[in-house]
Amino acid sequence: METMARVRLLGLGNELLADDAFGIRVAREVHRRLGPGADIVTSSAAGFHLLDDIVGAEHLVVVDTVQTGSARPGALRILHEDQVRPMPDGSPHFLGLFDVLRAARKLGLQVPADVTIIAVEASDCITVGGTMHPDVEAAIDQAVELSGRLLRVDEACRARS
Amino acid sequence: MATATSIESKRRITIDPITRLEGHGKIEIFLDSKGDVERAFFQVPELRGFEKFAQGRQAEDMPQITSRICGVCPTAHHMASTKALDALYGVTPPPAARKIRELVYNTFMVEDHALHFYFLGGPDFVVGPTAPAAERNVLGVIAKVGVETATKVIAMRRRLRELMALAAGKPIHPVFGVPGGVAKALSRENAEQFRIVADEAVQFARFTLGLFEKVVLANSGYVDLIRSDLFTHRTYYMGLVDEKNHVNFYHGQLRVVLPDGAEWARFSPDRYQDFIAEHAEPWSYMKFCYLKTPGWRGFADGPQSGIYCVAPLARLNAADGMATPLAHEAYLKYCGTLGKPVHQTLANHWARLVELLYAAERMKQLADDPEITDTTVRAIPTAAPREGIGVVEAPRGTLFHHYQTDEHGLITKANLIVATQNNAARIAMGIDKVARGLVKASTVDDGILNMVEMAFRAYDPCLGCATHALPGSMPLFVLLRGPNGAVLTTLRRDGDGAIHRD
Repeated sequence: METMARVRLLGLGNELLADDAFGIRVAREVHRRLGPGADIVTSSAAGFHLLDDIVGAEHLVVVDTVQTGSARPGALRILHEDQVRPMPDGSPHFLGLFDVLRAARKLGLQVPADVTIIAVEASDCITVGGTMHPDVEAAIDQAVELSGRLLRVDEACRARS
Repeated sequence: MATATSIESKRRITIDPITRLEGHGKIEIFLDSKGDVERAFFQVPELRGFEKFAQGRQAEDMPQITSRICGVCPTAHHMASTKALDALYGVTPPPAARKIRELVYNTFMVEDHALHFYFLGGPDFVVGPTAPAAERNVLGVIAKVGVETATKVIAMRRRLRELMALAAGKPIHPVFGVPGGVAKALSRENAEQFRIVADEAVQFARFTLGLFEKVVLANSGYVDLIRSDLFTHRTYYMGLVDEKNHVNFYHGQLRVVLPDGAEWARFSPDRYQDFIAEHAEPWSYMKFCYLKTPGWRGFADGPQSGIYCVAPLARLNAADGMATPLAHEAYLKYCGTLGKPVHQTLANHWARLVELLYAAERMKQLADDPEITDTTVRAIPTAAPREGIGVVEAPRGTLFHHYQTDEHGLITKANLIVATQNNAARIAMGIDKVARGLVKASTVDDGILNMVEMAFRAYDPCLGCATHALPGSMPLFVLLRGPNGAVLTTLRRDGDGAIHRD
């Protein structure tokens, strides 16, 4: 691409694991609506594997599932990076996306300065080949709308400049 | 042994990070009537339904499906699965195919071990176990090793990824393994690219071992911690070895050594069911692997208990050395310092670096081998499929894929044993030991969170469902419950490391 993408949509998840398909399905639908010009990637990977997906974007919209236990399945939340507190001692195995981001910034790599997370409360992400919870599936549309809007605003800005 | 009902009536402490986004491991500590630890458990939510999902699918799809299940080491699943297909169709890959597979596999091991040491295990040993929680993260590691070194790690990773994409089709989820070989030959030009990066990887691994000596071994506090009895268990050890009993990640025989280091068994991986069984506990979905002959004797170490251990520490214990010269030198130094077998769980970090050097040297050996560019890379299966077992050493330990099919190659039965299952009993023992040492008369010391976590962090347990990772906004907490289930005390640690009692 000749110009660097301003906003990239990153759909995280795993289509084989019930509700975890959410981020992937949202990304695919946004891609269908906005066409090939939009910068949309998906990943089922974790930790540093995600580095390749975030390098080169100015802003990042992440669509993913969360399980906090404090909301009903299908509830959507929009979070910004600074609202998410890192856990200092989780498993070392699963380096978080924001750990990767912070490390990449520290090392001077070209990674997004701004991250928006669209997170859906999931009910089951461990059943291989499982079906999505109906309320989680129903939230796909709204997440597509939200992330599509974020990408379109970006397009409009670029058209003006 | 505690049962589900008796457990309910115990005082109970739970350490639960809640959100799967940071991994879903959960530690529960049950207290007796005096408030001392009766039993501490480590639980991980295993993926469910894999067997049912696999049934009726074409066996050839398994290397793709299984590598997609795991977001952390897809290459290991792809390779174990591909080897299971070789066995299923009774076909032996041509030498070049076997070498290409092993080359890609070692490339993957270099990447995984390097990232693990610097960015995942680093907070414990590079930054330090007693450093403030706020510094015990990736940024703390970068601050300690310097931006230049960290940049080197990231650059190394990128080059390794490019090689994997070159030889395996895709960088993260390889697509090159097929029953009887690989999908494409390695060109001379590609082999040369591997040679160049392998040389850099060897230098990089030596540099990293040097750093380990400087930062960790020169610090008597760290060495004392590695040697500490709190993190020591005298169990059996298992790993793949070559014909000279040297460590091999891709192929060989499974060798098991006794807690005193003597060989207990050496067998072809397809006979694993003759040696390994699984034990169920009412409190865990995860089954605990153990050796059949000593048998299940509860969560105890020693030669009378069938509990064994896998992963770098275990692989080095189960072998007589490394197959490459520099790594063997590093191996001798490691054994010279810690003895053999090494029972100290935290030595896994050092063992991992010995393996890092081996993987880099092995890359070089394979890339230098003129046979690797031979264009015969596939033997076409002709036998009717029935049953196949494939085993590799994943970064975190021995990984088994076992499939049975009908005569059309459709899966009728599929079983995976992942590294963490092999280690589950020892991990549980480790947590129990630390909890017993630190929780007395219902008093939970604030430092227990870190110490208990260190007890399982060294194994780098695979928390199956956490396929990707956004940081959780939930704090880590400990619940102290009375016999009636009421919460007596809550110990909560926030993201900034501050600990609160409610």
